[in-house]
Amino acid sequence: MSQYNDHYGGGYMTGGSPYGGGGSPGGFGRKSEISHSLRPLTIHQVLTASQAHPDADWMLDDTEIGQVTIVAHISSVQSQATNSQYILDDGSGRIEARRWVDSSVEDNSERLGIVEGAYVRVSGSLKMFGDKKYINASHIRPIKSPHEIYFHILEAMTATLMWERGPPPRPGQNAQDIVPKAHQSAASAYSAQSHHIADNDQFAYLPKLHHSIITFMQSQPPSDAGVHVSAIARAVGGDAVSISDALDKLLDEGLVFSTIDESHYKVAV
Amino acid sequence: MELVSPRVNSARLPAFKGRHVRLPCKLLKFQGSSAIVEACDGGQVEVRLSPADELTGTYAEIIGQVVDESTIKFMFGISMDSEKEFDMKLVNDVIELSFDPRFKKMFPQ
Repeated sequence: MSQYNDHYGGGYMTGGSPYGGGGSPGGFGRKSEISHSLRPLTIHQVLTASQAHPDADWMLDDTEIGQVTIVAHISSVQSQATNSQYILDDGSGRIEARRWVDSSVEDNSERLGIVEGAYVRVSGSLKMFGDKKYINASHIRPIKSPHEIYFHILEAMTATLMWERGPPPRPGQNAQDIVPKAHQSAASAYSAQSHHIADNDQFAYLPKLHHSIITFMQSQPPSDAGVHVSAIARAVGGDAVSISDALDKLLDEGLVFSTIDESHYKVAV
Repeated sequence: MELVSPRVNSARLPAFKGRHVRLPCKLLKFQGSSAIVEACDGGQVEVRLSPADELTGTYAEIIGQVVDESTIKFMFGISMDSEKEFDMKLVNDVIELSFDPRFKKMFPQ
């Protein structure tokens, strides 16, 4: 029914469809999605990341990592014609970062405050040079406030726990339903597009009634005929009109379809 | 030089005797060739300075070597002063969290 289309606008399909908007399903989509993700880490974590072979993805605790961001102070600077090398120290370890300089553009790092002794935020990708790890820095800037150091530690802790345990349960959701699988990106805020969301999260954007309907239907034993509307109404509560409208809406979105007659519905996979 | 310098408060100093640490602190006063600072858990620490050492401002992160449970030898300092006052309670909470076993893979033991 058209009233619902306006309400939700065009953005909802990205979350609702199992494959997202335009991304390819399965492994390929996931790989490029991780490589675009940005992970806050301590230098100690960066140093423990490893690569199976020179062109393989970087892995940390069984998870792929794409770009990294750290907050550390500059222990030393070495500027050369084509690149600047920084030794970064955040208390948990030290790592080198290199920023490739475009010689036609004036290097105003000093003016910006990127000097020895300054705390900076560095973002970039991990690289190996011989047997030494370094960060190929795409972005370096001084921190905006001393509290950024602590914000970064807390953000890295949050991301680490989410990759380990999955995202925190939404209010009303059962904590046991969210099980992170070893090589899967459980809906992380740091992925460019979350393709692989645990099933019960897939419909979490729906309003309460619609979500309850879907949840009930999914909980029923599978059958060809699907679920009868009266069973839905009994389980979910509410009046017949609301249920009927909600089902129309779910039909429009392609989340459910009718089977043997207009009183039986199944959830679209 | 040792490559790690964990952030600590005054209570955790004894565990790092002889090692390098980072102490976020508030500068209270100078006393002889030392500075007396307050760590983020409220405990006071003596920071031994050499003649060439500079320590100015109100809040700083001091990197140094632990002499004993209430004394460190200054190596260098980074100012933590800014428009907003440095939130010592936040700092202490983060430091205590960093020693929580849940995060042990983030920090060296």
